[in-house]
Amino acid sequence: MHISDGVLPISITVASWAVSFGGAAYSLRCMKNEDLPKVAVVTSAFFVASLIHLPFGPTSVHLILPGIVGALLGPVAFLSIVLGLFLQSILFQFGGLTALGANALMMGLPALFCGLLFQGIRGKTVLSHTIAGAVCGGLGTAMAATVLACLLATAGENFVGVAKLALAAHVPVFLVEAGVSAFTVSFLFRVKPELLTTGRFRT
Amino acid sequence: MHFMSDEHIPREGELPLYDLDSLSFRYPDGTYALRDISLKIHRGDRIGLVGRNGSGKTTLVKHLNGLHSCQQGSISYKGEPLTEAMLPGLRLATGVLFQDPDDHLFCNSLFDDVAFGPMNQGLDEDTVISRVLEQLTAVGLEKLCYKPAHLLSYGQKKRAAFAAIMAMHPEVLILDEPTANLDPRQEKIFKELLREYRGTLIVIDHDLLFLYDLCDRAVVMSDGAIHHNYSFDQLVSQRESLREHGLDFTFRFSCCGDQQSVHVHQHYEHTHEHPIGAVHAPSVLPVPPLMELQHYSFRYGDGTLGLSNANLIIRPGDTLALVGENGAGKSTLAACLLGLNRGEGYFFVNGKPVNNALRRGLWRRVGMVFQNSADQLFTPSCREEVAFGPQQMGMKGDELNDRVNDALARVHLQGFEDKVPLNMSGGERKRLAIAAALSMHPELLILDEPTASLDPHGEELLTEILESLGLTTILITHDLFFIERLSTRAIVMHQGTIIRDYSTAEFLTDDHLQSVNGLDYSYKSDCGRRIMALQDHEKGVRILPID
Amino acid sequence: MTAHPEIHIPLTTLASIIGGLAVLFVLFYWSIGGKRAKRDSFRTGDPDWSVPTIDAYADRSSFFHQWDPRIKIVSLFLYCFMVVSLQSLCWSTVAFTISLLAVVACNIPFARAGKRLLAMAGFLSMFLLVVPFTSPLQSSETLIYLPGLPGFPFHTAGFFVALLIVVKACAIALMMEPLLGTAPLAVTLQSLSRLGLPDSIGQMVLLSHRYIFVFVNEITRMYRGMRVRGFVPGTNMATMSAMGNFFGMLFVRSFDRTQRVYDAMLSRGYAGQFPSFVRFATTQKDWAKGALWIMMGLFLLFIDRMYGNPFF
Repeated sequence: MHISDGVLPISITVASWAVSFGGAAYSLRCMKNEDLPKVAVVTSAFFVASLIHLPFGPTSVHLILPGIVGALLGPVAFLSIVLGLFLQSILFQFGGLTALGANALMMGLPALFCGLLFQGIRGKTVLSHTIAGAVCGGLGTAMAATVLACLLATAGENFVGVAKLALAAHVPVFLVEAGVSAFTVSFLFRVKPELLTTGRFRT
Repeated sequence: MHFMSDEHIPREGELPLYDLDSLSFRYPDGTYALRDISLKIHRGDRIGLVGRNGSGKTTLVKHLNGLHSCQQGSISYKGEPLTEAMLPGLRLATGVLFQDPDDHLFCNSLFDDVAFGPMNQGLDEDTVISRVLEQLTAVGLEKLCYKPAHLLSYGQKKRAAFAAIMAMHPEVLILDEPTANLDPRQEKIFKELLREYRGTLIVIDHDLLFLYDLCDRAVVMSDGAIHHNYSFDQLVSQRESLREHGLDFTFRFSCCGDQQSVHVHQHYEHTHEHPIGAVHAPSVLPVPPLMELQHYSFRYGDGTLGLSNANLIIRPGDTLALVGENGAGKSTLAACLLGLNRGEGYFFVNGKPVNNALRRGLWRRVGMVFQNSADQLFTPSCREEVAFGPQQMGMKGDELNDRVNDALARVHLQGFEDKVPLNMSGGERKRLAIAAALSMHPELLILDEPTASLDPHGEELLTEILESLGLTTILITHDLFFIERLSTRAIVMHQGTIIRDYSTAEFLTDDHLQSVNGLDYSYKSDCGRRIMALQDHEKGVRILPID
Repeated sequence: MTAHPEIHIPLTTLASIIGGLAVLFVLFYWSIGGKRAKRDSFRTGDPDWSVPTIDAYADRSSFFHQWDPRIKIVSLFLYCFMVVSLQSLCWSTVAFTISLLAVVACNIPFARAGKRLLAMAGFLSMFLLVVPFTSPLQSSETLIYLPGLPGFPFHTAGFFVALLIVVKACAIALMMEPLLGTAPLAVTLQSLSRLGLPDSIGQMVLLSHRYIFVFVNEITRMYRGMRVRGFVPGTNMATMSAMGNFFGMLFVRSFDRTQRVYDAMLSRGYAGQFPSFVRFATTQKDWAKGALWIMMGLFLLFIDRMYGNPFF
């Protein structure tokens, strides 16, 4: 779920822009110059992955995979997410330009955290990778939902109800993300482990 | 080893353009991609670089334009040892066309893509614009100048990528399978452009017939080393060494030799004659048809007609070849038969009209092998890949295991159960994709360009497998040899309609098709005759007249 | 509780309000051609993964097209932030009307802007449906009791708060077409980098944008590959496993492609820069247009703070 324009008060909007700007600048510093085309192309893959909807009971959820982005890209994940969100907002109006900062925080912070966490708990076997994938996938989404709820709650007492609902609405996403991330990570570990180990974009 | 030194080509007093001396290259995992390569390439050489898949051809050309740096041995360019500082200049003087045109078209309009190289060469704006227009006109895309690449067809992208490279006016042109997956008409455009090119040309391809006409020198690679380096005539005339390198394409000549052209063409299966409005029932034939289409059309959401008024009968045991130019509607027809596309008209399976429920179940009856194996293989092991279809059918336990083992055995992939499909060779992946379809025991198997970018050895193996299947098959291909060898009936499509439906023998002699949709195979037959003559000459048996 | 006026709505009124809204939504959906993509996916069975071309109408001409992109971006972007700061429904509605006029003036079919509104519908309707029932009670606000929900009054104050958000969100979303659709994407990004955005960001956006289309094609074909083997997504482990592999394959293929694209760029002389001949020329007219929008934003903000009230 993305925060639309005009929802958050101007102070939060501007502040989150500033923080995201710092995050993106940090990411950009972590990135080697020759990796520019690569990060860009991988960003489009994540963008495309977020277009895919999976059925969940009577409704469908689309995945945001912050855990996987973090695990694959490390510190560059934040930049990749900012780019992806920018494209989503200019192409589809998912989120919005003024809310870009808030959305970037919502997805980017969990991605950075999960990236670190994944390196810590991944272990050496297929099973441990699968579990690490599930934990990072689920946790990434849960954190994103929490940040979303917090941001909404800052908008005033009126929005506490919405914030709670948004948190609840993410429970199915959280389950699906955990499941899919587990399988994705175990697939990558079996097929191309160097994507997870050397982390081509990690410095 | 038939190592002919370069001395047979007189080059007195001229510095070679490239001089490779004992060049070796290892991947990070330690395997050798190139071993001890020594090769001189002179200005104006036209080299065909051939060898099995994975023999190091692409790695070698990546050294020639500085994408790989020299690990062991040395490379000199124009007499100077290649240094880091020379790389930018070298890259601007060499043009490389890799296989996938999408890799080359990284800007958001054709103009920007073609202008990218010349701008990096530091040319001024007017020169760049004139070069862009010149090159786009040469490949016939000047009208699409400001379109983004994703609106183009595969063939158009391929031509655009070529234009993007030619706009740099490269001294050396390196092409990696330039005509893979192109129809004969587009292949011809390429061939003509390459004939006009006056610089040094290096072409990687498996299609020796294509190379024969274009190149005068052949470099044969095997396991990262150069095995032969001699004139093209010498290469093709020595059948034994061709066979040794999996390059013997002469198994192809059993077909397209000296057939006489005829102008008459009869319809093998009569076209469905009913008016569209009348009552439609499945045709009554001695053998009930497996599938039948009557007045079947398919329109895409944007209004373009993908398939128009198709009438087609597929009987059990039929082996059909589906031919036509790129974009003629072959894949659209296949998608209709698979039940992916929902068209309008009459569609019967085993005599029953296809309703929604039946269409959704068509995947159980029809197997499909896509052109690009990567679109079909997505699991981490061969076993899971082959089991995926039967699992969707609800199969479990021993039955599932039997299906998997049986399907793998039929494509000669026993023992591959736990291998990772992604790390297998192109030929193995193609066979795995076929196994994944076979494990579902389809009544009809559709193969889309199964031999695209396989080396001749892989092609031969695949042909044997396909021959042994004994299934009702539809083969979508541009390759005359496979049409002749693997089909009894040919369906010709043009701009969304089925324009011919007759026996393969009639198709092979139908020279009227050239003018209809550019299915011009005549020059290949021509080359084939000339090569056979050379081989016969070598064997000292007899000499055929060369025309 | 007596301080709050109460209105009890009969079931029939409620039903007709809901029905009316539904009809309006369907009409809107239909008018912006939302059915088109659905029709395509109905015929081919492929999921609708279509991505719009942002600059499809960049070659037209209008007030916004003939405006130096640099000044256009700065002034419209600032204007959008000013709209975010509005606090009254009345002046937000004025901003919404201005946006509507801008969309008409920018000579781009309304359906494009309409699709943007539709994309936000889910998120915004959550506000409209939830906030009125959960917002804290405010003094002298009207409570509306819906049939069957005696314990959950509909707070009109909460409703106006939610409506304010919706109106502002729509006002800003509508400005996106005049802002981004009126110049080729490359030019927009070029001007952003002239405005101080690092060059590398603009290049990455352009590259990502290009390869989105390539990957959409790729996943459509891959998904077909699964469908012909009988894959139907459901809520179960098998689907998660298949989709997990599917995503894994997408990432592996994309990482492979990054290397190939990089090679292709290098071999055409890429040295960290995308060369460009784009030149910008600023006239007084451009400045005047910029000043106009900034003034308009400031005026809205001023009048909003002076005369606006939180309810209307």
